[in-house]
Amino acid sequence: MTLTEIRPGAVGGGPVAGRGPWQLAWRRIRTDKVAMVSGAVVVLLCALALAAPLIAAWTGHGPDEQFRDTGITAQGLPVPPNGEFWFGTDRLGRDLFVRVLYGARVSLLVGVVATGMAALVGVVVGLLAGYYGGAVDTLLSRLMDVVLSFPYLIFAIAVVSIAGPSLTATIGVIAFYSWAAIARVVRGQTLALKEREYVEAARSMGAGDLRIMFVDILPNLLAPVIVLTTLLVPAAIVFESTLSYLGLGIVPPTPSWGNLLSEAQGFYRVAYWYLGFPAATLLITTLAFNLLGDGIRDAIDPRMERLFSRRRRTRKGA
Amino acid sequence: MASMRHFSIAVVVTATLCVTACQTDTGARNSAPPSTAASGSPVSGGTLRLVGSGDVDHLDPTSSYYTVTNGILRTYARGLFGLNGVPAGADTTKGFTLVPDVAAEMPTKENGGLSADGITYTIKLRDGVQWDTQPPREVTAGDFVRGFKRICNPVAGSGAPGYYTSTIKGMQAYCDAYAKAFTKAKPTAKALADFQNGHDIAGVQAKDDKTLVFTLTQPASDFLNILSLNFSVAAPEEYDQYVPDDATFRRHTISNGPYKITQYVATKSIRLERNPAWKQESDPIRHQYVGAIEVKMGVAEPDAVQQQLEAGSADLSWDLPVPTAQIPRLKSSGDPNFTIFPGAVSNPYIVFNLQSKNADGAMGKLKVRQAIEYAVSKVAIAKVYGGSDVATALHTAIPPGNIGYQEYNPYPSPGDAGDPAKCKQMLAEAGYPNGLTLIGAYRNAGNHPANFQSYAADLEKCGITVKGLPVRQGDYYGAFLQNPSLAKAGKWDISAPGWVPDWYGNNGRAVVQPLFETNCNPGTSNYGCYSNPKVDSLIKQALAQQDQAKAAALWHEVDTTVMADAVIVPLNNQNTPIYHSKRVHNALYLPAFQLYDFTNLWLDPNTP
Repeated sequence: MTLTEIRPGAVGGGPVAGRGPWQLAWRRIRTDKVAMVSGAVVVLLCALALAAPLIAAWTGHGPDEQFRDTGITAQGLPVPPNGEFWFGTDRLGRDLFVRVLYGARVSLLVGVVATGMAALVGVVVGLLAGYYGGAVDTLLSRLMDVVLSFPYLIFAIAVVSIAGPSLTATIGVIAFYSWAAIARVVRGQTLALKEREYVEAARSMGAGDLRIMFVDILPNLLAPVIVLTTLLVPAAIVFESTLSYLGLGIVPPTPSWGNLLSEAQGFYRVAYWYLGFPAATLLITTLAFNLLGDGIRDAIDPRMERLFSRRRRTRKGA
Repeated sequence: MASMRHFSIAVVVTATLCVTACQTDTGARNSAPPSTAASGSPVSGGTLRLVGSGDVDHLDPTSSYYTVTNGILRTYARGLFGLNGVPAGADTTKGFTLVPDVAAEMPTKENGGLSADGITYTIKLRDGVQWDTQPPREVTAGDFVRGFKRICNPVAGSGAPGYYTSTIKGMQAYCDAYAKAFTKAKPTAKALADFQNGHDIAGVQAKDDKTLVFTLTQPASDFLNILSLNFSVAAPEEYDQYVPDDATFRRHTISNGPYKITQYVATKSIRLERNPAWKQESDPIRHQYVGAIEVKMGVAEPDAVQQQLEAGSADLSWDLPVPTAQIPRLKSSGDPNFTIFPGAVSNPYIVFNLQSKNADGAMGKLKVRQAIEYAVSKVAIAKVYGGSDVATALHTAIPPGNIGYQEYNPYPSPGDAGDPAKCKQMLAEAGYPNGLTLIGAYRNAGNHPANFQSYAADLEKCGITVKGLPVRQGDYYGAFLQNPSLAKAGKWDISAPGWVPDWYGNNGRAVVQPLFETNCNPGTSNYGCYSNPKVDSLIKQALAQQDQAKAAALWHEVDTTVMADAVIVPLNNQNTPIYHSKRVHNALYLPAFQLYDFTNLWLDPNTP
């Protein structure tokens, strides 16, 4: 298809070996140590989450199994980290290490699925609004405004009280709240892209609206969408934890980090591990996702210089 | 008899919606002044500082139902009879004994206070009990009659009118007429007062300014307990000017006790100062040691309150319990300011929704319920509350300290730790060899999620999967459990509420009747709509029985019947841990409210 040749992404060739924008981005991100470490942490977390049942089987502690003799004291206090329970136990005598891992499954699942759904809806709505403009744009943009102006926690509480708390409700609420941010960015980009010559050319060659939107414009939107999505994942994880912490998210005994934090709150003075490990895991996860998102953004769009960017400083020094 | 318990926000046991307690036989009782814990002579002055989370439910004694509210009600609203607190280490059942308060003495057949047929009570009022008015005015029998007339006002009536309507002659008719009169009419202060002053309750008469005469529909050996509840304290004529418990009312409460409310800021603070109209010689159960009482609200974390108490920047917790996780430390360090008082409550217990059609109507099947009786570990639940120091396994429908209690164990398991094998076997016999799935409703606050997960894990071992249904704490009783249409619709199968009686001792009317008598109407406390004609008939007989021992035997028979029907799984009887700052002396415990008596303690040093 001749059209591909005039896409801006494919232009930057030359006599030197032709590198696409993705290759360039990859080369840039590989030099970004923070992003690489963050990426490794994310991969490790995902691997641990996936392997949670194996690890549980290996320790011999199920995620909901209550060790009432060895896992809690006679006064009902959790047991500190030891050889048998690496992260200690919770107030019901369950292995905190296994529960944190299983919590990662829930948190990552919610984070990825909710963000994926949000990205899908956001991209479609944004494309439609930006491409068609006019009444469609007005309608969809107002819809985005409405969603963005929802007080999200109150909205979440309302939804959960009607639908009842569950994994699906949690994912739904988070996706509903996140798509508008993506849609807005996509709409803005689409508005600019649709006036580009290659789009005009495609249209003059008789390409249909759908084709132009999804074949010509969409690939050029991927960079901002990927960046935004990576940054929305940690937000979704925190959102899920918030809901669960308030008792509105994942229903116990299924562990999620929010549930673990909520259960631990009465014990922080006597059992540091109870609050400490889930909190630290949550912190590390969101930090890793955020730094990775920053790294990807820098790599994909080097023009956008970050304030206090490490690379800028090194460039100055060089 | 609706006396529901709402367990305090975010927490465990303590703050319940209730009231007074006590044992009454109709024998004579002398009102002994409260015993002083031996720790020097009382110091006067200082401000007793209470810190906690939420507001009172009402300031109007007619409608107040939270135990926390009772803590301060005792300081400004006096009833005919009252209770004394007990010091740490003493037998708490002594705190169940009624003593005269505004009444001059306990009415008995010997002193003519109680008629031979047990139907008529004639009660003389004490002299020198005064309202804090300008000038101070004597509390009259008419003030008590007004208090009774306010019980079923349609704006903010009593939470438990049933105690009165089921005992006092003409009370039901009066309340029905009151409700009917205001189905359409606007309940203004004047309209309400006009109704009350224009209608009489046949069984409540002021013979003269100092004599009250009560006529009952049938003998009720617990009637004086009912009279000791805060709903029927005296009400001054000034209360006719306000709509009950509205904002104006709350600014104009009038005290006849040792303290009066000088400032009330909703959800923030309450301040009480000494009432100059109160006289020590006319009050047999209170003192006026501290100079002022100050309640600060808005601290939602039990841990934060505990830290303040230990640091001495507050003296008592207002509505939050000692944090569960701190109890082992406080106990093992032998902290003299920390005490665990024995309890007499059934909390929590598992209730089955007998109406549910879920899992082939499993909850309606006796064998399934009995299987569950065996499965649940009572010691594991006790650990949620801090172990055996705080909570003990309960095997009976009626907990100790309540009439009809006798220890027996219809569904024993080794060490009270549950017997999943026995459960499994019985479940198979009941026709569920492959297990079943139930919906377990729980409050998503405090220790309740842990309770739920604990018993759900036990049932899982037996093959019963319990799907959790979190319910908001504030909705749990009124909007959820007490709504039989939700039970019929199978919204829940199993849940773990708690029950703290309105009074102790002779209290079948406050325990067995609300929990087990046939009642499937909105507001019922028989959440699972249990109905057994034999139980209903036993309850009727027990209420009419004047001989305490015979009544106790009847109540116990209800217990055995109910347990044979496996209507509830009793889990724990909970003790009450309380902490006070180290300057608090003579802290006397009121078992009925699970609080210290503010009107008898003193502070040393007394600054601030």
